[in-house]
Amino acid sequence: MKNANAQFDPIIRMREVTVSYGSRRVLDSVSLDVQRGEILVLLGGSGSGKTTLLKQVLGLMKPNTGSIVVNGVDITSCGPSELAAVRRHIGVAFQAAALFNSMSVQENVALPLQELTKLADSTISLITWIKLWMVGLAEAAHLYPSELSGGMRKRAAIARAIALDPQILVFDEPSAGLDPIVAAGLDELIIFLNDILGITILVVTHHLESAFRIADRIAMLHQGHLIAVDEKERFAGTTHPRIRQFLDRKPDAVGSGEQGFMTAYLKEFQT
Amino acid sequence: MSFLEQIGRPFVLWAEDAGALTLQFGAALWRIPKALPILGNRRRWGATLEQVLAIGTRALPMACTMSLCIGFVLALQGAAELRRFGGVNYVVNLVAVAFIRELGALVTAIAVSGRSASAISAEVGTMVVTEEMDALRVMGLNPVDFTLAPRYLGALIAVPCLTILSTISGIFAAYVFLSLSIDMSFRIYSRAVFEAILARDVWLTLIKSVVFATIIVHVGYLEGLRVSGGPDAVGRATTTAVVKSTFLVIVADLAATWFFYMMGWSAAG
Repeated sequence: MKNANAQFDPIIRMREVTVSYGSRRVLDSVSLDVQRGEILVLLGGSGSGKTTLLKQVLGLMKPNTGSIVVNGVDITSCGPSELAAVRRHIGVAFQAAALFNSMSVQENVALPLQELTKLADSTISLITWIKLWMVGLAEAAHLYPSELSGGMRKRAAIARAIALDPQILVFDEPSAGLDPIVAAGLDELIIFLNDILGITILVVTHHLESAFRIADRIAMLHQGHLIAVDEKERFAGTTHPRIRQFLDRKPDAVGSGEQGFMTAYLKEFQT
Repeated sequence: MSFLEQIGRPFVLWAEDAGALTLQFGAALWRIPKALPILGNRRRWGATLEQVLAIGTRALPMACTMSLCIGFVLALQGAAELRRFGGVNYVVNLVAVAFIRELGALVTAIAVSGRSASAISAEVGTMVVTEEMDALRVMGLNPVDFTLAPRYLGALIAVPCLTILSTISGIFAAYVFLSLSIDMSFRIYSRAVFEAILARDVWLTLIKSVVFATIIVHVGYLEGLRVSGGPDAVGRATTTAVVKSTFLVIVADLAATWFFYMMGWSAAG
């Protein structure tokens, strides 16, 4: 924890959030607090519901039941203008960067400034340059997204996400599709932004090494249930079988469980 | 699936389409003022001009070539019949009236539907897949301002212009035929054309082309928004967009023509 008060000041507070698609429960009464100023990493395998949880926090989807309070506003029940005001303080770096392909890197970063502030053009270009410099892309400002490497695209997306000086920064799979060196560089950038700017950071990933490098606390989702939230040192020493399996990279046993392929196959034969 | 479900399903899907298109149309109308020159945001107007050029240049060669061919075919077929009554020069009236009232707008709409409904659904679908739409939303920006309004306004400008050009090419094709077959001069031909057409017909056809533009852009956009999953869904969306928009354009053409007829606006002179 960066400071003693942080414990009592959650910037995101999720309570009993349940989401179902038809009869399938993607999130099952998940309660999670993100403290102001911390880096919380949300771990989970494919299909664990972590992307859904992220969309809930961003207000892109509404939960079936439960409440999500971001910066003191319940985004599950507020109107569109309040939601826009909350989003003003959230920056998002999407998995595929989601840069606008018809605009250069500089224009991408300048877009939220042009649209949501009344700053003069010269101020905007200065801020844009500073943000690009912070992520190490100052010399690539005039390139288009299609001309960038995977790591550069993610950096550009981060520059755009921090353009409006958000209080919360959300990362969806920051290291997906990157080589280890570039991914490590991105981890350092995330820590830097948290240290220097004091931004609260929520990272969704399944990449263990990067999770343990950057996290203050780690939460783990499994099949829609939040099975652990703990500081990373204690998280690493856990004995919970699912988490151990995840941490030790053990596969599900073939044929185990009711969906096991071999079991189903054998049953088919016996009848 | 039970028998009743099979019968009911298309109706439910139709109702869903109709509802979604209506909501989307309302949202676009609401946001279009922002894309207008002077009144609106200058960047949106820039994006609109880009769309005018994109929609115009994508469909222009195809619309004009199709009109040339259809005009020529219509002249050929018409001449074969009219010759029996000794009225080959009425080919002018046949082609001019057919193109001004009907074919110019329809052929253009079909060309635009093939070119731009597909392009719009592919662009929008790709933006959905790459999370660009979500990126706009979480920035607190309205995707309609950036994606739908410029395209709709662009089409409202481009499609009537294309309709005029393609009507001219269709009528010109009939002139080529007549000058080759009965050596008609351009002066006589153009006088006959101007005698055959009414200003009212021109206005009605432009209204039709605006309706077609609305259908094409909104169907293309809606199918693009419905893309979910991966890139293969984008391909399916473009096909659906073209099929649906072409179909709806022809149905709307019938409805509009029927309406004009009932209002007594179709009678000559």
